[in-house]
Amino acid sequence: MVHMSTSAKLGVGIGLRAPHVAEVLATRPAIGWLEVHAENYMGAGAPLAALERLRADYPLSVHGVGLSLGSAAALDNRHLSRLQRLSTRLAPALVSEHLSWSIAGGIYLNHLLPLPYTEETLALVAQHVTHTHEVLQCRLLIENPSSYLRFAHSVIPEPEFLGELVRRTGCGLLCDVNNIYVSCCNLGGDPVAYLEALPARAVGEIHLAGYAVNDADGQTILIDDHGAPVSDAVWALYRHALARFGPVPTLIEWDTNIPELAVLCAEAHTAERFFQRAEEAGYAGVA
Amino acid sequence: MPALRELQSAFLRAMFGPDEPELLETIVGDGLLPAARLQIYRHHVLTSLTDVLQTTFPVICRLVDERFFRYAADAYIRQYPPEAPCLFEYGAHFAAFLAAFPPCRHIEYLADVARLEWALHRALHAEVRTPLDPAEMGGLAPHEVARLTFQFDPSVTLLDSPWPIDQIWRVNQADEEVYAPVDLNEGGVSLEIRRWEDDVGFRRLDPAIYTFRSTLAAGHALTRAAEAALVANQEFDCVAALHELLTDGVVIGFTL
Repeated sequence: MVHMSTSAKLGVGIGLRAPHVAEVLATRPAIGWLEVHAENYMGAGAPLAALERLRADYPLSVHGVGLSLGSAAALDNRHLSRLQRLSTRLAPALVSEHLSWSIAGGIYLNHLLPLPYTEETLALVAQHVTHTHEVLQCRLLIENPSSYLRFAHSVIPEPEFLGELVRRTGCGLLCDVNNIYVSCCNLGGDPVAYLEALPARAVGEIHLAGYAVNDADGQTILIDDHGAPVSDAVWALYRHALARFGPVPTLIEWDTNIPELAVLCAEAHTAERFFQRAEEAGYAGVA
Repeated sequence: MPALRELQSAFLRAMFGPDEPELLETIVGDGLLPAARLQIYRHHVLTSLTDVLQTTFPVICRLVDERFFRYAADAYIRQYPPEAPCLFEYGAHFAAFLAAFPPCRHIEYLADVARLEWALHRALHAEVRTPLDPAEMGGLAPHEVARLTFQFDPSVTLLDSPWPIDQIWRVNQADEEVYAPVDLNEGGVSLEIRRWEDDVGFRRLDPAIYTFRSTLAAGHALTRAAEAALVANQEFDCVAALHELLTDGVVIGFTL
């Protein structure tokens, strides 16, 4: 199980990506923890061997991107058992997945696809989260997705949907601050109101990343490509999140246009300054 | 309001096909055409899978040019979409696809270079196993030795080609600055691709050794592998070949 008392001590970490593995192994930068995408380590070769060496020096977080908790079909049990084996082997401090779907008709679409927020979806995702809890024997953190569309029959606001999922399953939340900003810009919505609507005590991790600004038929669309520094607007929203959730373990993600490791670490150190201020502010906890 | 299962089926079809009016009706425009919103997802699904193939097959990408590679990858993804989320396992059919893909099937060595890249990729992700300790085989009677079969390290692929694919691979590395022409008429190669210590790589095998090892790797007994190797080369030294097999880390177990 994830215990907030220990996970809070993780501080600020970085998403470990393949181009940086050798340098992290060689230089062991001063970073609080490392998060990896589970699916990249489900083989048993060199990538996993490298990660096992890093385990001695860094707490790990296993972040799944392929479980497809929102698929109308049953969960892929082969994939779930691979996740279970990886989780057992790495004994991570945190395990997380997404509020999205990516598998239909036996095809994996490699994207965190949007769900209609309905009673039907809520019951289904809750059932899949509960099943995952039983198999993994740990508490999942569920991440809010970045969205480019919403469905007309989606009737439950996303933060409330997540809150109800927490209530029904006992899962925690991974609050991706960048995703909130991106979704609110793309679909309309107030990012601060979104943060306020999340159940604060359930938030066990925060994600930060950069986005790309695209033009679609004259309208600005933010693309959550994790390919740029964290924007000023997202830093401001992060400070708001820290004020509301307290010093929750925070991660910098960078997945496209991956920069030098030093650039990624510098972003983490920026987050650390905000994080420490939140710690000093003596977070007492809010409901 | 469509049930979730129907909605996801329609969404899946739309990722690889045209917009369907019933699906578009479920999407709120919010100042954009619903089709434009759907296109953002379609674009990401196809380009991200193309990126996966490009990472796994960088030499093919250099050989055919990036624009053509992305065109071929798009066709491959539609024909063989991934069936599971571990994308390091995606691309198993790419070599066979290239061999049959009309715009490039005349480039005869291309599919074998793709097979080499796939074998290297597989070796990287293959389970790390402990090599067989030859001492475990002490005390076997000669007739038992003849019947032996061997279990190869999971990183091993044995690959032969009528083209010098190892040379083609080498001169098309990203860090290769010297232009070195490859003579396609220099003949074929028999390669062993596998993990050595922490690295994956490949080496040329003598044709008789290649026959010996690939016969064993197919699960046949030692006698049959030796006979096949002798057909390839009458001078084949079975004792030396067996000694090398047992000491260079390529096998992890044996069965009597």
